[in-house]
Amino acid sequence: MRLTDWQLAFEQHLLADTPSARSDFAATLLGGPTLDVDTGLAIYHNAYLSRLQEVLRHDFSAVLYWLGDDEFAALTEAYLRRYPSAHYSLRWLGERFPAFILEHLVAEQSAPLAELARLEWAFTLAFDAPQGEPLTLNDMASLPPEAWPVLQVSLAPTVQPLLCQFNSVAIWRASKDESDFPDSQALAPAQTCLVWRHQNVCHYRSLEPAEASALTGMATTGWSFAELCAELAVTHAEGAPLQAVTWLKQWVQDGLLERRAP
Amino acid sequence: MPTSFSSLGYGLGLRNEYYEQILAQSPAVDWFEVISENYLVQGGKALYYLDAIAERYPLVMHGVSLSIGGPHALDTDYLKQIKQLAERIQPAWVSDHLCWSRGSAHQLHDLLPLPYTEESLYHVAARVRQVQDVLQRPLVLENVSSYVRSKADEFTEWEFLNALAHLSGCQLLLDVNNVYVSSRNHGFDAWTFIRNLPSESIRQLHLAGHMDYGDYVVDTHDHPVCDPVWALYQQTLEYLGPVSTLLERDDHFPPFEELLTELSKARELGATVLARRPLCA
Repeated sequence: MRLTDWQLAFEQHLLADTPSARSDFAATLLGGPTLDVDTGLAIYHNAYLSRLQEVLRHDFSAVLYWLGDDEFAALTEAYLRRYPSAHYSLRWLGERFPAFILEHLVAEQSAPLAELARLEWAFTLAFDAPQGEPLTLNDMASLPPEAWPVLQVSLAPTVQPLLCQFNSVAIWRASKDESDFPDSQALAPAQTCLVWRHQNVCHYRSLEPAEASALTGMATTGWSFAELCAELAVTHAEGAPLQAVTWLKQWVQDGLLERRAP
Repeated sequence: MPTSFSSLGYGLGLRNEYYEQILAQSPAVDWFEVISENYLVQGGKALYYLDAIAERYPLVMHGVSLSIGGPHALDTDYLKQIKQLAERIQPAWVSDHLCWSRGSAHQLHDLLPLPYTEESLYHVAARVRQVQDVLQRPLVLENVSSYVRSKADEFTEWEFLNALAHLSGCQLLLDVNNVYVSSRNHGFDAWTFIRNLPSESIRQLHLAGHMDYGDYVVDTHDHPVCDPVWALYQQTLEYLGPVSTLLERDDHFPPFEELLTELSKARELGATVLARRPLCA
């Protein structure tokens, strides 16, 4: 058997559902004095799955907490059979896991569980995203007065916004605290949760709809600071500039924003 | 016969569990080995600590994803990132494993054994040269533990390593534990393996623990080094002279002090062995 064919047969063995190998592949192998070929191949087969499942247990610990060991093992095994790793780094192994949950489970269970998985993946993304150049309060203090009305910002690269239709943040928190799980509940209206890294620590915060809308307006739609004030004037009248400054200061303090080039 | 490289001394694998302790206490570790893939990221805590530790200690890069014997083309993007990381932290050397870890389309994330045939030898040697051309430095390759071997083998593992070092100019990372594990599983003599390696090409040693199931041994790197591996290490040092030695732990991380104690054992054993070893001209 040529090297390439032998390696492809080995790969098929690792990816197969059962630890027993094809007999024509097993026939190309030798064991040792007290280690037979079947046991040797089973060591590789088991190590492949358990190593990858361990990574997912770490990256999706709240999903694990929700499902328990057995259900999580079954779900992750199905995931790894469906989407074997495509990246050299195990750091990306769980990238498709939230979408897989939606594909694989019935809708009533999959929607809140997939959202929880998305929340956990947001932490993974925030953890090692590029730092960027988040605005600081010092930067803001040194802005000349004429720069304020035209100030435009975008989200810093570590910021991961997530629209939560369920109480996923409360469930995630309970899993971290190892406390009793709250029942899964739909939120009305849906709530924006931000996950980001600031000074090498990951943070999260749920935003009230008005603040979420203001942040989206500035950081995504591209409103200038003057446009933010104008938008807020509808609901806050003369208090609009104060509210705009309060939020902007909070966002900058949290390290959420970068300056957008004019 | 001695190795041709000067020794960095006694090092530990850099793991995130120990970052803060290392920076706070500046422990008596001569150097650290970093898993390259953990730092092929664009930002965050890992790179922050890596840069801080690189300012205080010599570092060595140890990869797990090169797949030097794989059936696919080498991943040039991965190699480019390895090179960039090497430029960033200036490691004393860059290593990976003599194995394959990527199949037709999937990453298998394991250090899979190669058949020791002429076909494998020329396949790997050509790829080593390709990697060395990109990295502009010799590649250091580690022997892996294995649980099956190919009936098609035309060489022993040590013959294969000899031929590969000769053909490609690669250097060797001799994992003493892996030799022990494979010797138990395949029924060869561990010392025969080591004394038949091209000693002048051995750049580094690894020490680690494993799980002994009686009939076979599994390389887990999650236990302290066992007595037979210490004995083999001692014999290796008597033969090679001083070689950079790295204590590896990949799981079941003990308190850092326990690793330091285990590293001290390697250091003391090395001092004893090397004190009574005749100086070579």
